[in-house]
Amino acid sequence: MALIELREVTKRYRVGEQEIVALAGIDLDIEEGEYAAIIGPSGSGKSTLMHLLGCLDTPTTGRMIIDGIDASRAGGNRLSELRNAKIGFVFQSFNLLPKFNVLQNVELPMIYAGLGSAERKRRALTAIERVGLSNRLKNTPLQLSGGQMQRVAIARALVNDPRIIFADEPTGNLDSTTGESILALFQELIAQGRTIVLVTHDNDIAAHTPRRIEMRDGKILADSKHPAPLAPV
Amino acid sequence: MKLWLSLLMGLKEISAHKFRSILTMLGIILGVASLLTTFALTAGIANGMRDFMTQIGGIEKIDTNRQEVPEEQTAFAEISPGQTVADAELIRSRADLVSYVSPVSELGNAALTRGNQTMRAQVSGCWPDFAHINKHEIAHGRLLTQIDLDEARHVVVVGRSIVDKLWPERKNYNAVGESFLINGRPFTIVGIFNFYEREEDKLRRERGEPPKMGGPGRGGRRGGGWDPFQRKNSSVQIPITTMFYDYKSSTMVGTVDQGPNYKLDQLIFQVKDVSRFQEALDQTRALLTVTHRGIEDFTFNTREEWFDSMERSIKSTRVSGGMIAIISLIVGGIGITNIMLASITERIREIGVRRAIGAKGRDIFLQIIVESSVIGVCGGVLGLGAAFGLLRLIAQLTESENTPIVEPSAILISFGFAVAIGVLSGIFPAIKASRLDPIEALRYG
Repeated sequence: MALIELREVTKRYRVGEQEIVALAGIDLDIEEGEYAAIIGPSGSGKSTLMHLLGCLDTPTTGRMIIDGIDASRAGGNRLSELRNAKIGFVFQSFNLLPKFNVLQNVELPMIYAGLGSAERKRRALTAIERVGLSNRLKNTPLQLSGGQMQRVAIARALVNDPRIIFADEPTGNLDSTTGESILALFQELIAQGRTIVLVTHDNDIAAHTPRRIEMRDGKILADSKHPAPLAPV
Repeated sequence: MKLWLSLLMGLKEISAHKFRSILTMLGIILGVASLLTTFALTAGIANGMRDFMTQIGGIEKIDTNRQEVPEEQTAFAEISPGQTVADAELIRSRADLVSYVSPVSELGNAALTRGNQTMRAQVSGCWPDFAHINKHEIAHGRLLTQIDLDEARHVVVVGRSIVDKLWPERKNYNAVGESFLINGRPFTIVGIFNFYEREEDKLRRERGEPPKMGGPGRGGRRGGGWDPFQRKNSSVQIPITTMFYDYKSSTMVGTVDQGPNYKLDQLIFQVKDVSRFQEALDQTRALLTVTHRGIEDFTFNTREEWFDSMERSIKSTRVSGGMIAIISLIVGGIGITNIMLASITERIREIGVRRAIGAKGRDIFLQIIVESSVIGVCGGVLGLGAAFGLLRLIAQLTESENTPIVEPSAILISFGFAVAIGVLSGIFPAIKASRLDPIEALRYG
């Protein structure tokens, strides 16, 4: 069974009198260890899809199984638990808490998981070392560069050992060199067996990933798999 | 999420906006300070009043006074002998609900003379019980006795102020055995009463400051204040028999001597058991109706109503003061709600991030509630501190009649209110924050 299974998933919003169909029947499997990019222009439904996959929302109809758990009808608390245990998020604008230092930011998901402070610190240090920021533990996000902030965000996404990481335009706010280094970090994580799904409108970034899922008008237009990464690491 | 972690986060949030937090707390601080100050001041006043009430004889003391005879009895009112010692004797022998009784015959504005020292005072001819009823305590010597009465001895028991005025050169003189003249007749001092004073006067005296008012040798009134013990300290008590023989055996009307006047000016008694107050009054009334031959020319002057109204006014001061303070606390609470609403609007994105990485709605709720509660608790603690400072200031600035009393229960109530307001004022913002849609929140800003 695939890590994530979507069957005939739709998502509709009601805005006043009007009904907006954001997703019009999606079937999608994502396997463990995959590195995929969801691409499409704005309004194509890719963000809605990512919100569903990331358990931030539930589908209007259809079934969504994540790691063997049916998330399609889960309540708010269950979704929170799923997000906490199985999913890591990396955002375009990093979304670190500015008043907390690097260590505290990375520890945050484990606080909601209810881990003890010693365990939190140990795992946070490992994750921060993994992204190469061990010398910046006590810095606050404002004292870091964009690339460093995104590395902290990745460490935070990794720290609860999630089954899948979602990255929403992870290089959108970074210059191309820094962006490349972030993508390289993703490649390393993939090589270690992590599952990562990128959401982007940038074809160059999507060219890094073995799998491209193209969205248009709430539907999957194309789903192509390359045997190996196209871009050199 | 563990509570103490939320607590740490709340403290962090508050310390991140120190100025804003202090301003928000100010409402609570002022509210708590005024609440506790009100409690302490009214408790002080109440205490002073109760002290005074006890010192002047308490609720159990009853005066029997002459009264206008009712109209239907005026025609034969003369059959009543009026208030006489017989009244007191009957009460003493028959009224088992009365513990002490004393007839009083007074000599107003009598001249007390010792050597070249002269002063004016009211002299009371009475029974030994008089001292008990008026809650006098002997400091030196003894009280009047039945033998003094039987033999109509020339002995006197006096208050401290009298001794101090007659022996101004000797401080705190134990004048037992000395004599002075009352309207020219010599009396020997057999007892001296304690000096009575209010708590704060005592404190002042012990600190070596001059008394504010009403100390020995001073008038009762000064600076708008009134020393309730002035009269008590100037007491002069002689046996009522001596009073009759020496001063009441003739009544001059024009040039004609009308003979002795053994009518009483007062008849005072003390009820044995306050819970059977009305019963004791009825019993005494029945006895006096016998001696007065059915003529209602006497009335009981109880302090019940007076005491009740005192208690009521203390209570209403307390309640109204408390209400005002509580209103200011509520205003403070609204301030917290307001600032928490502003704070969550500011932090919508942060809330979105927290939700995305696994915070449940209730975690967010808890976080906001903890923050507002921490403001409430800090405000409460600072408010208590402010109240103590304020009370000190009041004590130094004003010539307060009564030392404020801070009761533990008042501290508890004031602080409890601050905490409750802190928690309550966070509920609405907390619900609002916990219901934010994570996706919307992440998109915000």
